[in-house]
Amino acid sequence: MAHMLEERGLPTTVLALVLSQVVKTRPPRAVMTPFMLGRPLGEPNDAAFQRRVLLQALRLLERTDGPVILEHFPDDNPSWFDRPDWVPAVTLPAPGAVTDWQAELDRVLPAWERFKARFGRTTVGLSGQPVGDWAAFALSFLTGALPTVPAHDTPALALRFLCDDIKALYGEAVQADGPPPSARQIDTWFWRQTVAGKLLIALRGAAMVSENNALKTVGGRFFVPAPFLPG
Amino acid sequence: MARIEDIPEPTRTGVDAIPCPAFETTPFVAGPPLAQRRVAIVSSAALIHRGDKPFPFGSGECRAVPSAWATGDILISHVSINFDRAGFQRDINVVYPIDRLRDLAADGTIGSVADTHYTVMGSTDPAAMEESADIIAAALHADNVNAVVLAPV
Repeated sequence: MAHMLEERGLPTTVLALVLSQVVKTRPPRAVMTPFMLGRPLGEPNDAAFQRRVLLQALRLLERTDGPVILEHFPDDNPSWFDRPDWVPAVTLPAPGAVTDWQAELDRVLPAWERFKARFGRTTVGLSGQPVGDWAAFALSFLTGALPTVPAHDTPALALRFLCDDIKALYGEAVQADGPPPSARQIDTWFWRQTVAGKLLIALRGAAMVSENNALKTVGGRFFVPAPFLPG
Repeated sequence: MARIEDIPEPTRTGVDAIPCPAFETTPFVAGPPLAQRRVAIVSSAALIHRGDKPFPFGSGECRAVPSAWATGDILISHVSINFDRAGFQRDINVVYPIDRLRDLAADGTIGSVADTHYTVMGSTDPAAMEESADIIAAALHADNVNAVVLAPV
């Protein structure tokens, strides 16, 4: 896209996360960052850190020694590192049966409300379903049903975005209080210590043996990260 | 979820192997000092306003992200199990640094912030985005933008 816009007369600068793609595409100007995929500015709620990242990229626009100009941002973002003293904002018993998910969800919701109050936002919303409908909708896929909702055209898309909302709600709830944990700590908590994590793994299993090819595709690609797949 | 080097195989190889176009030329458009730049963001996060339809996977379309949108109403519809979401959950600026651009404009480091930004779906074949590039470029020229920050996720 940098090439395309530059060819159309617009100066560009890129905040890059994948070095192999930068090497192959050679954008006119880029800053290679060491951050996780999904957060090109690095650190949330740290305006000074974000400013450093953004300004390094913008300063490239004033240089005349290109193309190609590639710089590296030198520092990890602070919450890249695990926080040993982190305490999840939600205390849950050892995960039970996936059919009991509603009970767990009910215990998580107060922390989610605290997150929304604290940060003034939520990233939950892609599913187009109220939280109260989630459990029955998700669990029905485990019995072979293929429901959908008005917000999405197919059962596969409806379940794909519901899975994303489940991860978002839990991810927000567990960060509701205190300093930020690392993303690894959130992932480990979700996938190892919650019924919701077990449910998504079960939904992936159901999707992978479904005769609905779209469901099979989204189940394999979008539900569970490889490090947390069973076996 | 992970840095690229921490993504397990075979996904990491898949990310590295995503077809990238080889360009015969490397355009390099000059411009005035930063303090005279009007800056726009182009994000590959498939940003949508709450309630809008998510981008279809592999879509080559582009959509506008007006500066006036309340940041609490913006969602990412580029879903990937390899993306970290914790950062975006706490602060949209890790993906769409609109508040940081406003800061830079307020203190005179840049000239101004574009009225409208643009978003596309990452992991899409760039060849499918030529029309979107036309649309984005025309709109940004019309807004007198002379600097674009691309923030792929």
